[in-house]
Amino acid sequence: MVPANSRSRRPDDDLGRVRLGLAIGAGRLAAKASRLAGRGSGASIRGQVMLRIDPQAFGKLLRHRRIAAVSGTNGKTTTTHLLTAAVRASLSDGNRVVTNADGANLYHGIASALGEHPDADIAILETDERVVRELIRQGRPELLVLLNFSRDQLDRHHEIKALGRSWRDALVEAGTEGPVVVANSCDPLVVWAARAAHRTVWVDTGDSWTQDAALCPECGSVLVHAPATPASRARWHCPACDLSQPTPDYVVHGDDVTDRSGTVHHLALQVPGRFNRANAACALAAAVEFGGGAADALRGMRDVKSPAGRYATAHFGSTSARLLLAKNPAGWAESLPLAASDPVVLAIDSAAADGRDVSWLWDVDYEQLAGRHVVCTGPRAQDLAVRLTYAGVEHSVEPDLSTALTDRSATLDCIATYTPFQRLRRLGGLA
Amino acid sequence: MSPVRIVLIYQSLLGIYGDRGNAMVLAKRLEWRGIDHELIVVEPGEPVPPDAGVYLLGGGEDMAQISAVRALTSDTNLFRGMDAGAVLFAVCAGYQICGQTFTVGDHDEVIDGLGLLDVTTRRGPQRAVGEILTRWTRPDGSVSLITGFENHGGFTTLGADAAPLAQVEVGIGNSGDGTEGAVQGRAIGTYPHGPVLARNPDLADHVLSLALGRDLEPLDLPEVDRLRADRIAHVRAGRRRVGA
Repeated sequence: MVPANSRSRRPDDDLGRVRLGLAIGAGRLAAKASRLAGRGSGASIRGQVMLRIDPQAFGKLLRHRRIAAVSGTNGKTTTTHLLTAAVRASLSDGNRVVTNADGANLYHGIASALGEHPDADIAILETDERVVRELIRQGRPELLVLLNFSRDQLDRHHEIKALGRSWRDALVEAGTEGPVVVANSCDPLVVWAARAAHRTVWVDTGDSWTQDAALCPECGSVLVHAPATPASRARWHCPACDLSQPTPDYVVHGDDVTDRSGTVHHLALQVPGRFNRANAACALAAAVEFGGGAADALRGMRDVKSPAGRYATAHFGSTSARLLLAKNPAGWAESLPLAASDPVVLAIDSAAADGRDVSWLWDVDYEQLAGRHVVCTGPRAQDLAVRLTYAGVEHSVEPDLSTALTDRSATLDCIATYTPFQRLRRLGGLA
Repeated sequence: MSPVRIVLIYQSLLGIYGDRGNAMVLAKRLEWRGIDHELIVVEPGEPVPPDAGVYLLGGGEDMAQISAVRALTSDTNLFRGMDAGAVLFAVCAGYQICGQTFTVGDHDEVIDGLGLLDVTTRRGPQRAVGEILTRWTRPDGSVSLITGFENHGGFTTLGADAAPLAQVEVGIGNSGDGTEGAVQGRAIGTYPHGPVLARNPDLADHVLSLALGRDLEPLDLPEVDRLRADRIAHVRAGRRRVGA
């Protein structure tokens, strides 16, 4: 960290530092107690204790660092891991970078990660959609990566546009002091929010989820989605105002990313799927904006294998199961084609973190599983069973997660919503 | 006999809570019975078929409600279809737009609805979010429980021409007055998602019976029975905890 200039020090600065020090110390003790009690890493309790003792800790810990933030409905954790690896690869000392690698992306999760690494001068932060606004205000990030917006946990977030508006307002408010935004040009709500930034780098990710982008966020007209023509590369536009898909600075096609100079970058990632190639393109653009070289960034990203347990293989008796996380219909649309095993295990819950309303099961194309056997598990396995009955997909129901996976077959794929995903990581010896 | 047309209206606007499932359920229940049918999905800008057996509307956000009303009013075929005897099954935001008026936005702007149901919707004192259980009296006088998940900020009041669909056992329903949903002629409005017709096969078959003009034998679907038993037990247990 940059040493504070002693001449500019004021007594309340010193007090503030003392308070922050106390908060970090108390947070560490709480985290240790939590670990000893076998309640996980303690990251969350650490942050909660810190913010209780020093409510200003979030802002204080952000100061004096170069910050890049990553937000969006899907892909935040993986993109944060990719960007962190990309930036670290360009530095001789990777310890200069702090990140909340565990996916704890609310105030206390971010504070917890930063408090553990006070000397890291670069912070790469996965940021919950609801925290972006305060992060821009208090942290003045250099860079903000905005991935996508889609329906998610509608029992809590009733209107996805409200989140987009909060991003837009924060960018307008920050003006030229605000971050350069790396944004997915395929998502109209992201574009609407991001074009308020003083500078934007557009990534054409090739995303095809348009079901949450029916209306123009600017004027409310029905957006037109159509294939690109020789006259216009825009694949969506508003017929009534000037909002349309921007000309991209980076374009994803297959396993390659072409930048604005025409240079083609080959991704060759370990994390699977079209969606992660889109995430990596955003991370590549962000790493270059942050001052690194594309070659270093690509080299770093190729080492990312199982960010916060995603795509990792867990063991249940004689069964090895690859765990995939899918939290909402857009996430399932990307994950289902990756899960190729037969049987395939799908784990559904409706705890607060999963969304308490499982109606979204009917917005997912489970019909594509026809011909394979699905093991339905988790507390809401029966809701999935009814969905699969109507989809004409053969299935069985085993609500208990362990039983559903143990000694099933040699290897299989398991897609889970958030809560069962975390439980399966622990049950399968990964966390 | 020509195939029964099931028309899912404006999925991209009024389809964020899985309510397309209602259309899938109706179509599948006809298919399992060997009854000829077509499932048609119409988007804004495309004409709504005027000759449907069943029209379906689902949940959505404020701006989408305004767009849907505008598009359906200028298209006019939904009204034509209703005059010709079609059944309308509208959920949540779709239910609200079928009424006389509803409100949108932070400033509660009043918007004219389609006027197919004599109900009005205004912002409620708190958002109604959670599992809901209601008692629906079927045409033969027997009671069937309806289970679903409600999630709405608007509270709906029924006018003289509309009757409640069901009585609330657990949850808020129309406005916390003990009623849920509305029926007027062949138009039915209701709040629960789930989707509601997936969780409540009696109600699904009621909609189909209205469209076909004849009764249907129940289908034997143990998966659905188990889900209903789960959800009904869960929501009743939740009520006891709140009361304790």
